[in-house]
Amino acid sequence: MPIIELKEISKIFGFGDATTLALDEIDLVIEKGEFVAIMGPSGSGKSTLMNLIGLLDRPTYGSYKLGGKDVSRLRTNQLAKIRRDRVGYVFQSFNLLPRLNVLENVALPLVYKGVGANKRIKTASALLERVGLSDREYYLPKHLSGGQTQRAAIARALVNSPDIIIADEPTGNLDSESSRVVMELLSDIHKLGNTILLVTHNPELTRYVNRVVYMHDGVIVHDENTPIGEVPKLARKALNLFQRKTEEDDLAGVSALMKAIPTKHTTKKPRAKAKKPTSRSKSMKRIKK
Amino acid sequence: MTMTGVILGVLSVITIVSIGEGVKRQVVGQINLLGSDLISVRPGNLVTRDKNGNIVKVNQIGNFAFGSGSMSDSDLETIKSSSGVKTVVPIGLVNSGVKLDDVQYNQSLVIATNDKFPAMLKQTITHGVFFDDTDSNKHVVVIGRRVAENLFAENVPIGRTFTIRGTEFVVIGVFEEFNYSPLAYGTDLNQAIAMPYAAGQELTGHNQLAQVLVRPESVDQTTAAIASINKKMTLAHGGQNDFTVLKQDENLSVVSDILKVFTAFISGVAAMSLLIGGIGIMNIMLVSVTERTREIGIRKAIGATNRQISEQFFVEATILSATGGAIGIGLAFVVNAVLRIVTHLNPVISLEVVLISAGVSIALGIVFGVIPAVRAARKDPIEALRYE
Repeated sequence: MPIIELKEISKIFGFGDATTLALDEIDLVIEKGEFVAIMGPSGSGKSTLMNLIGLLDRPTYGSYKLGGKDVSRLRTNQLAKIRRDRVGYVFQSFNLLPRLNVLENVALPLVYKGVGANKRIKTASALLERVGLSDREYYLPKHLSGGQTQRAAIARALVNSPDIIIADEPTGNLDSESSRVVMELLSDIHKLGNTILLVTHNPELTRYVNRVVYMHDGVIVHDENTPIGEVPKLARKALNLFQRKTEEDDLAGVSALMKAIPTKHTTKKPRAKAKKPTSRSKSMKRIKK
Repeated sequence: MTMTGVILGVLSVITIVSIGEGVKRQVVGQINLLGSDLISVRPGNLVTRDKNGNIVKVNQIGNFAFGSGSMSDSDLETIKSSSGVKTVVPIGLVNSGVKLDDVQYNQSLVIATNDKFPAMLKQTITHGVFFDDTDSNKHVVVIGRRVAENLFAENVPIGRTFTIRGTEFVVIGVFEEFNYSPLAYGTDLNQAIAMPYAAGQELTGHNQLAQVLVRPESVDQTTAAIASINKKMTLAHGGQNDFTVLKQDENLSVVSDILKVFTAFISGVAAMSLLIGGIGIMNIMLVSVTERTREIGIRKAIGATNRQISEQFFVEATILSATGGAIGIGLAFVVNAVLRIVTHLNPVISLEVVLISAGVSIALGIVFGVIPAVRAARKDPIEALRYE
């Protein structure tokens, strides 16, 4: 059963001449229990896609079904409630509240759910034990190392037993050892049956996932399944190419990472700053249908 | 800093109301003690009355304690001769020049009066005696408690002498503690040095009468006596109404009239400082909302609804203002205690005024917390998460 179903999702930012087409008719289906890595250069629309899937934002066009329920036209407060009950976030910059201790941070989503104090502490405590931080419950986030902070953040993401976990560059601020611990933790969580979306620049991390989605200029350019434990060729290649980026590429403003990826379109896609009329008329047609 | 406005507002409201309440209680207590039939005649046109004789306005607030204007020995005779009058006690002011062993004592209130003074004010003498009519021109005095303590540094300085304007006087008695200020509000009779009327006359040439106390033959005759005094005095003053006759219960309305002016003024100041306090709270909350943009983003990302975010800031604003109110109330009690010690005002903080102040300060947080709370709730979670 698909947990996430995106159909012809578009997202447009800005007005008039400053219009940016961040996502261009994305179709994506993610099954329950998948561990998906989303790769792409900066500005390729990864974060916008994650914000939409994580219900922090709404698509301009298209439909989004989360667990079979259409959530693309809900109001902000309804979105907040679904976020609370069904989405867990892990951020690159951890985003724990600095004035709350680790236990309180982990229990915070339960506060918004209206769970009683005793049960909150019990649940949060159990999760902290699971991520190996039971001896740090009363520490403030600033007294933890980066890896410990991210593990606490993962515990917070899990506290509501969400349907999907969105990890946006979870290892971006961590050293390699902490990265490994965090990724293995995510991997364990995946093995328990959770659906995880991982946004990353680092091809090495794709060894933990079973599917990789490549994005470029607001479209999905490639989507492949990959056995866990292996870094797919394309990602490896992208890594190599990324390292051998030329000065010309910089000047051209084209990411070398994407050069190696065969595009689905024969003609070159327009840059992210698309002309508004074309996309609008396309969408209009779709609405008329 | 943020709470200063609220603190000051609450503090000033409670203090002024408590002083007013204290004064009123004192005056009421005094009326009960002295009896409602006590009449006082004062120089100066102090009040304006309507047709029915009710006081509509107090004219000379500054002069009220001891009015300027003139009342002299002849007025005393006029009052004595009015119908229905039983006893008359003059209160003459002797500008003091009290000296003991070359040390000047300026706090005292030197009055010249007659032998019926204690009876009129229902005051007893703890030590010694009050002068009687045979002592009328002897140089003797009866002193208040404070004078005994401060000037002579002993409780019973009977027989000791000191000088007033170079004339030697002997202490023959000490008053019981005065709990009220029957002559005029704000005068402390515990600082009084009372001498016979004739002695005062001898000292100053003529007595400047600050007040004449009158008791009618019976309580029922109070109104008639007042009418008679008014009539005779007006006649004696050539038709000019430059004196005031007050009943005891009118003292209360005079005092509350004076208090009204102060209360209105202080209330204005308090309202202003509460308003400023409210704006201060709003300001600090707006700053806090901006500083905590990222926190708002995080909270929203993990599932806080707009309502839950606004509630948080709303509660914080209310806690802030309520804390200010609580500090203000606390300080008001401190000020109250200080006032009780250093002044003879007896401010009374009623439960009512405390509850109202608490209510007002909470309401302040609610009113001025709305804008910051709404602003916090409206933040876009994605933008907020990006905020550094």
